Amino acid sequence: MAIKFNEVAFTYQKGTPFESQALHDINLEIEDGSFTAIVGHTGSGKSTLLQHLNGLLKPTEGEIQIGEQIITPETPNKALNNLRKQVGIVFQFPEAQLFEETVIKDVAFAPKNFGKTESEAEAIAAKMLQLVGLPESIYQQSPFDLSGGQMRRVAIAGILAMEPKILVLDEPTAGLDPRGRVDMMAMFEELHREQNLTIILVTHQMDDVANYADHAIIMSKGTIIKSGTPRAVFSEPDFLLNNHLNVPTTTLFSKKLTEKGFSFANMPLTEAELADDLVALLSRKGGHDANE
Amino acid sequence: MTEVIKVDHLNYQYEAQKELNEMALKDVSFTINKGEWVAIIGHNGSGKSTLSKNINGLLAPKSGEITVDGLVLSTETVWDIRRKIGIVFQNPDNQFVGATVEDDVAFGLENNGIERKEMQERVRDALERVDMWQFAAKEPARLSGGQKQRVAIAGIVALRPEVIILDESTSMLDPEGRDEVLSLIHQLKDERGLTIISITHDINEAASADKIMVMDGGQLVKQGTPAEIFALGEQLVDMGLDVPYPERLKAALKKRHFDIPDDYMTEEGMVDWLWQLNSTK
Repeated sequence: MAIKFNEVAFTYQKGTPFESQALHDINLEIEDGSFTAIVGHTGSGKSTLLQHLNGLLKPTEGEIQIGEQIITPETPNKALNNLRKQVGIVFQFPEAQLFEETVIKDVAFAPKNFGKTESEAEAIAAKMLQLVGLPESIYQQSPFDLSGGQMRRVAIAGILAMEPKILVLDEPTAGLDPRGRVDMMAMFEELHREQNLTIILVTHQMDDVANYADHAIIMSKGTIIKSGTPRAVFSEPDFLLNNHLNVPTTTLFSKKLTEKGFSFANMPLTEAELADDLVALLSRKGGHDANE
Repeated sequence: MTEVIKVDHLNYQYEAQKELNEMALKDVSFTINKGEWVAIIGHNGSGKSTLSKNINGLLAPKSGEITVDGLVLSTETVWDIRRKIGIVFQNPDNQFVGATVEDDVAFGLENNGIERKEMQERVRDALERVDMWQFAAKEPARLSGGQKQRVAIAGIVALRPEVIILDESTSMLDPEGRDEVLSLIHQLKDERGLTIISITHDINEAASADKIMVMDGGQLVKQGTPAEIFALGEQLVDMGLDVPYPERLKAALKKRHFDIPDDYMTEEGMVDWLWQLNSTK
């Protein structure tokens, strides 16, 4: 399912003395089957934007199209119910929302709520638990006896059990150790590739943007300040750095090299790209094994 | 140098481990000097947090001895020892008790029976040190993650401890919040000669330490300076830490049959090394 925002704005408590504008002039397009990263500071409007994706909030101005559905400030709330099944949002620290006695029951909760029978719901749950890489031996365990990383996988399986077309992830690797982060990102990559899920990832990890996303959206003060492929967005590292945002570790390192007289045709985004460029540059100079 | 913490042949077993004959901490011994910053790393379940809970008496060792600032930990000394050690936990939202920032910082002092006038002075002093005095009357819920952790640190600073344990206290923060907290800890260490123990998965936090201790399977398996530990490269991932960037790039270059020294290089060191190579005709 594709997503389109047209001149969207959102104001909290509009028409009261407490009104505050959280989003303005938002125009964006997210293609079906794409992997989009949204980055920006705490308070830049990322979370408010996310909540528009499954109808938790409606725009106060402008228009949003998600698949066939059009959402405007006038759309009745009832018309948004369908969206909740199509767009699954994994909020930060989703393991805090686990509540059932067993892992399988927790994951089966949503499909049961949407009208499946107990056995149908459990069959869906088992399939989703397999997708997130959890072994059958834990299905009957209490989710609260699992490790942090496993609990988070259970919570994600619970969202996948609604069989959404779009999966929205709000900092899904926060608080995990480095191995857990790598494993978790590999899992999303696989869901994206094999289940053809459209993925929208909110993150502070620019290395993940460089490694996984095909589209990056940079937000600041309630609006989009840059959007494009990671290559295009990170081609001018100073733009992001001046906005107090990071760039991928490789790009930052490469920037230091350019200050020392190196030049790259494209600003490298990953260590593999930089290593390729360095080998080409330095071998031509004859600085290493050619002479040794 | 004065020893502030001494752990001698420490063993710990959780109740559930008894049947399986497993141990959470196995024969752990080390010393930490006053004013030192020590990072403890290790993957999840390696015993890092169990160790910190033993040090301040939240868990009672199966055997072995812990000495903090000259006091041997026992049921008689545990309260004195807890006064010497403050812990900042991972989740900034789980450690607030006061309705305002000021009340929250005062809580620990009240519990320790500090007289009102002195309490007010200490609260103000602590909040000024963490640069949060202007938020004294605010509700903690209104603060950012980094600000909340700074208030939690103020609550500890007000009690004037010898040691601060950071138990993954920056892992739930955004990059800015993380920088805020780390630079504050640097400043407190320099001004007050505090001893810092940070349990962390964050490479920058580990790089701030004077010494890194690596835990695995309940044992202390390695100790060294950040440069010594970071030179382990890819093995760091199994120790619950990211690989430092220069080591990642070195691995990628080696894969391409590029000659490169094995010694650990900082980022600046590696930039200079490449620059030298690039300037050689």
